[in-house]
Amino acid sequence: MRRPAAAPEQGEGRGLSMIYRLTQGMLESTFEQFRRCGRGHEECQALWVSSWDNPETISGVVHPKHAAHFGGFVLDDDWLNTFWLELGNINSGIRVQVHTHPREAFHSETDDKFPIIHKPGFLSLVIPNFALGPVGFKDAYLTEIQPDGRWRQVAIESRLVVT
Amino acid sequence: MLDKTCCPPSEQAVEHLRKAEHDLEQARRKEREAQKEVAEAEAEIKKAIEELEHPRVFKVEVLYDGIKKQFEVRVEETVKHLLDQAIRAFGQLPQPHTLALYNDGKELVDKQTIKEAGVKPCDVLLLRPSKVKGGA
Repeated sequence: MRRPAAAPEQGEGRGLSMIYRLTQGMLESTFEQFRRCGRGHEECQALWVSSWDNPETISGVVHPKHAAHFGGFVLDDDWLNTFWLELGNINSGIRVQVHTHPREAFHSETDDKFPIIHKPGFLSLVIPNFALGPVGFKDAYLTEIQPDGRWRQVAIESRLVVT
Repeated sequence: MLDKTCCPPSEQAVEHLRKAEHDLEQARRKEREAQKEVAEAEAEIKKAIEELEHPRVFKVEVLYDGIKKQFEVRVEETVKHLLDQAIRAFGQLPQPHTLALYNDGKELVDKQTIKEAGVKPCDVLLLRPSKVKGGA
């Protein structure tokens, strides 16, 4: 179910979140994964991670093991345990969760309630049309966890820079 | 014991015998005391080993989003107590009811004590959401 979101305001919430840089190659790799895994009829998720030593620079795109269908996905529990330990071993954190929607991009009630990270400043990016459109952020939806735990839509260019 | 003989024993011999019997009794008492002390020492050693293997207070680590933090736990505390501590330590995470602690791949039951949950010294517990999902 679609939920109304407050209009994004440039700069709002800054200080709790930072601007992340990722390469065009990472963005292309994310779209390629969505198209290959989702095949135009299932949702898919990717996780953008970076080192705690240099958090603003996204260093990897992770494809979680998951079950998916037309209107949703669930991460594999065992995979999540292994990945959690791996993050500790490589001193990295998850900065952005990215997933596809069949049609328009927005944050559903399920998206709001079951993110992978719960910290204020954590970002969730939704890509429309199973990522079958052009690689980029056109019609995408970015939202951020606020200090009170609520999600608030933010302007993509205020948080993500593709280099 | 004295054997009855035709000739009465000399007083010296009787005295010698009494002293020997007294010494024997003393030695047996010391032996009983020593055995008691050995048993007590063995019990202490057993208790010390038990405390070494299963201490009542020890440290564990909790891992969230790639960061480890150390916590001191008591065996009688609940998992929920540690969970609440960890959530606070990682920045008062919103939606705490969706988070749980995991050890060896299994979600720990909030109501159980640290001992009942099988948490051991130096364990690395995962603080993570019970479910991660999305849907249009």
